[in-house]
Amino acid sequence: MNYSPTYALLIFFGFSIVTYLLFRPRKGLFWVIKNNLESNEKIVIEDILKQLYHSENSGKELDVNSLTNALKFSNSTIIDVIKKMTINELVESDGDVLKLTSTGRDYALRIVRVHRLWEKYLAEKTGFDKIEWHGRAEEMEHKLNHEETNLLATQLGNPKYDPHGDPIPTKLGKMADLDGEFLSSIAVGSVGRIIHIEDEPDVIYKQILAENIHIGSQIRVVENNKQRVVFYAEGEEFKLAPIVAANITVSILKKEDVIEDVIVRLSSLKENEVAHILGISKESRGDRRRRLLDLGFVKGTEISIDLISPMQNPTAYLVKGTSIALRKDQASKILIKKDVEYGE
Amino acid sequence: MGNKVNSTCETCPQYNAKGLKKLGLNTENVDFVVALAGNPNTGKSTVFNALTGLRQHTGNWPGKTVTRAEGAFEYNSQKFKLIDLPGTYSLLSTSQDEEVARNFILFGKPDVTVIVVDASRLERNLNLVLQILEITDKAVLCLNLMDEAKRNNIKIDTRTLARDLGIPVVPTSARFNEGIPDLIQTINEVATGKIICKPHRIKNVPKNIENAVKTLTNEIEQQYPSIPNSRWIAFRLLEGDTHIIEALKTGELV
Amino acid sequence: MSKNSIENIIALSSDLRWQIGDDFHDGLAEGIYADASEIAGAAVSADDQKKRFRLDAKIDKIVTSKTWGFPIMFLILGVILWLTIIGANYPSSMLAQLLLDTIHPLLKNGAASVGMPWWLDGFLIDGVYLAVAWVIAVMLPPMAIFFPLFTLLEDFGYLPRVAFNLDYMFKKSGAHGKQALTMSMGFGCNAAGVVATRIIDSPRERLIAIITNNFSLCNGRWPTQILIATIFIGAVVPPSFSSIASLSAVIGIAILGIFFMFFTSWALTKTVLKGEVSTFNLELPPYRPPRFWKTIYTSLIDRTLIVLWRAILFAAPAGAVIWLISNIYIGNESIASWTINTLDGFGFLLGLNGVILLAYIVAIPANEIVIPTILMLTVMVSGIPGGEGAGVMFELDSVTATGDILRAGGWTLLTAINLMLFSLLHNPCSTTIYTIYKETKSIKWTTVASILPVIMGFVITFLVAQIWRLVF
Repeated sequence: MNYSPTYALLIFFGFSIVTYLLFRPRKGLFWVIKNNLESNEKIVIEDILKQLYHSENSGKELDVNSLTNALKFSNSTIIDVIKKMTINELVESDGDVLKLTSTGRDYALRIVRVHRLWEKYLAEKTGFDKIEWHGRAEEMEHKLNHEETNLLATQLGNPKYDPHGDPIPTKLGKMADLDGEFLSSIAVGSVGRIIHIEDEPDVIYKQILAENIHIGSQIRVVENNKQRVVFYAEGEEFKLAPIVAANITVSILKKEDVIEDVIVRLSSLKENEVAHILGISKESRGDRRRRLLDLGFVKGTEISIDLISPMQNPTAYLVKGTSIALRKDQASKILIKKDVEYGE
Repeated sequence: MGNKVNSTCETCPQYNAKGLKKLGLNTENVDFVVALAGNPNTGKSTVFNALTGLRQHTGNWPGKTVTRAEGAFEYNSQKFKLIDLPGTYSLLSTSQDEEVARNFILFGKPDVTVIVVDASRLERNLNLVLQILEITDKAVLCLNLMDEAKRNNIKIDTRTLARDLGIPVVPTSARFNEGIPDLIQTINEVATGKIICKPHRIKNVPKNIENAVKTLTNEIEQQYPSIPNSRWIAFRLLEGDTHIIEALKTGELV
Repeated sequence: MSKNSIENIIALSSDLRWQIGDDFHDGLAEGIYADASEIAGAAVSADDQKKRFRLDAKIDKIVTSKTWGFPIMFLILGVILWLTIIGANYPSSMLAQLLLDTIHPLLKNGAASVGMPWWLDGFLIDGVYLAVAWVIAVMLPPMAIFFPLFTLLEDFGYLPRVAFNLDYMFKKSGAHGKQALTMSMGFGCNAAGVVATRIIDSPRERLIAIITNNFSLCNGRWPTQILIATIFIGAVVPPSFSSIASLSAVIGIAILGIFFMFFTSWALTKTVLKGEVSTFNLELPPYRPPRFWKTIYTSLIDRTLIVLWRAILFAAPAGAVIWLISNIYIGNESIASWTINTLDGFGFLLGLNGVILLAYIVAIPANEIVIPTILMLTVMVSGIPGGEGAGVMFELDSVTATGDILRAGGWTLLTAINLMLFSLLHNPCSTTIYTIYKETKSIKWTTVASILPVIMGFVITFLVAQIWRLVF
């Protein structure tokens, strides 16, 4: 066998590239093949049901063609499956338009329940990034059976809403309301609370995430026209394109419900300022939120800066007699009201 | 190591007259089980060492003890087993240490739970104290680090505190062995039933939660009339604690 | 109780909880703190409760300041490491003198005088005893210096400030600031470093700290690095610079280790550990003057002796194995030389050789015995004069003589550099592996932590070897 360092290197890199192509996350050949083997009729049925459910809820009508456009399956697969679904009385056709039967609707609701519960689970009990929740729930919704779903719901404390603000159907199909208006259609000067952030399409959702807009925050709209929507929330100013703003739902607050107009984020507190905590943003979830509560970051507590680290992050805050360091992203999820300084 | 005399206090008459014997790791045939709970960094391990004569490492650093440590001492010829639980800020969350501490107090049913708190940070520490008092009736508050509190000019009215909490309060500075004899005597009195505690129950729970808790508590008490901490169980059920659900099913709680 | 009534209670709780909604935990936590505040308010009176003790605040301002924060930190860590490495030399050589040069011959003579058969004497005294003695001599002094010093800092309360200062850097790679401390602890001993990760209360960050602790060059590996650097790196430059060159090489390897620690932390957060829960909080406790002697005592008992004892338990069988493979013959070749021949090809690809690979396999229990094993095996397979016989580990007082043996065994500058790299990047010692298992209770993470570094070691040494051969 002839050894040469060049050959050794070439073989090594060749091997590495092949491994990478096979196993890189999600797009690797191995995973693609594995997913294709797993995608079976059940998944197609459930995806069609869900698509129909969402369209009917928003008052749109779907035929086979628009289904093919919306889903990643081939036209022939969809036609085959729809035939079966019609026989099983999950859907009925009204001319070209497909409609859910009441059995179909129940089934769809179950899928929606699993999907939203799983998103809630990912948000509360795992460390996955927000951007991954939807994709992972899309896979999981086909996997959990009835009992597993109910156990999951119990463990999560039977939540009413998923982390995006969508109501989660209960075991019996009961659902909390989601009353609100799209941010893009809110009049200048009105005050509201963000109750829902749509996670599809991906491109727009990523823009909203990049803006650091938090669900549950109280906002005041100061400008709304065809070019942009401008609003204040938690002491920061946000500017969005109307198409992005349309993916945010806001419930308008009555005058008596408007708590404070002076809510700001803890991250904006400066040295020598004193403030009181108003609460923790809904954006802080699961163990992170609980830990903050346990450490005494609760409503009404006085807070001030104790120390700033040499690289400006984290900052140590003095809370109930103890110095506790928080990172900037945590501090941005704690809402405070700064005390008015006297003598200045 | 257990019987070694290692401080002047142990040789003083008041200490020995009470018949204290540190037993170190010898935890067999005990009469009472005592749990030691508290926030991280309150000197809990120091208290543990002072009571048992062991020398577990105690860092000035939250979260030293993660696994349970055990030791024992003898007082008035009765043997006490002492269990040092992991230091936690709360018992309501899901972290592993909290689970260990919570489950031991609930299922281990210790005869006495000693709650060690930092006297200079009483308010923050009371968070855990109030939760423990929902679980158990037999508790002693060990107001530790009194030396630091004094240095910071903090005065604590222990009688008011004991009255409000409904359990005995013993000020200590475990690093200097101050107050330890008192603590032992109080543990003994609670264990033997000489002192009956009437622990404080959390009052400021928001209305909607309180109503739900009441409904659930009533239901639990109807089913299990002998359960001592139905309110805590209601809290945990509402939280979705699967461990509690399991325990209800197996009857482990009664 | 009937099953039904229990189901009823559970169903009722589910329903009630749904009605309360998401605010249950918040409401409860706020309620408890409201009670706490009332009770504390009635019992506590303070002159000025909110002001922290002033001396504390002053110290904090300095040790976390932009100007002084980092210099103070590096100075303290540098001094501790220096004291450990330099200071341990003297007691180490005294212990070696006692255990290896005095007691070992005594035992041999004793065995000979009672007429012990050569194989039993070799197995017990040359194998088991020697390995244990080596581990004690190399491991005990640095640990007995390092741990008490570190523990004093810990008890004083300085370490959380270090975590505070460095958190931003660690956050960038997805880790926790407290990992700075478990990492530093790893410079003393990886097993102790892994135990120390208990201070990190976030599951993801704790796993990262456990898996990457091995990238801290532990004190079982410092002597190897220093010896090899002195022999081979020091020889490349003019004599007047040789000590500086070899010192920088060793420090370079340690810094490379820190780089790998950051890189691996980052890679782990992006891949396998993505879904683990991650939280952050860091309490800065008040400073407390440590109780000097008590601290020294507990750190010796708690850390040093426990770790040492574990190491001895693992080293004893390793010594036995080393002696056995050198003395059991299959045909006319000992197991050791057969393995070495088999591994030589792979070793060559990595710029190492079969002796080094075999030494790392049998020395999994303790890095301390790598060099003595390598010397013994080199002498055995190359047939050069020297050494104490098959299966008897040895070390030489003279660095030059050691270098001569290694060169005679075919070592080049490349072998030396790659040995230094491999000593940094290989599987943790068995004590550490066992500790990782005890701390994580997971075979999966123990495997990852054990295999990952050795794969990285293979890749890095392989690449270095090929490029080296292309260039020179």
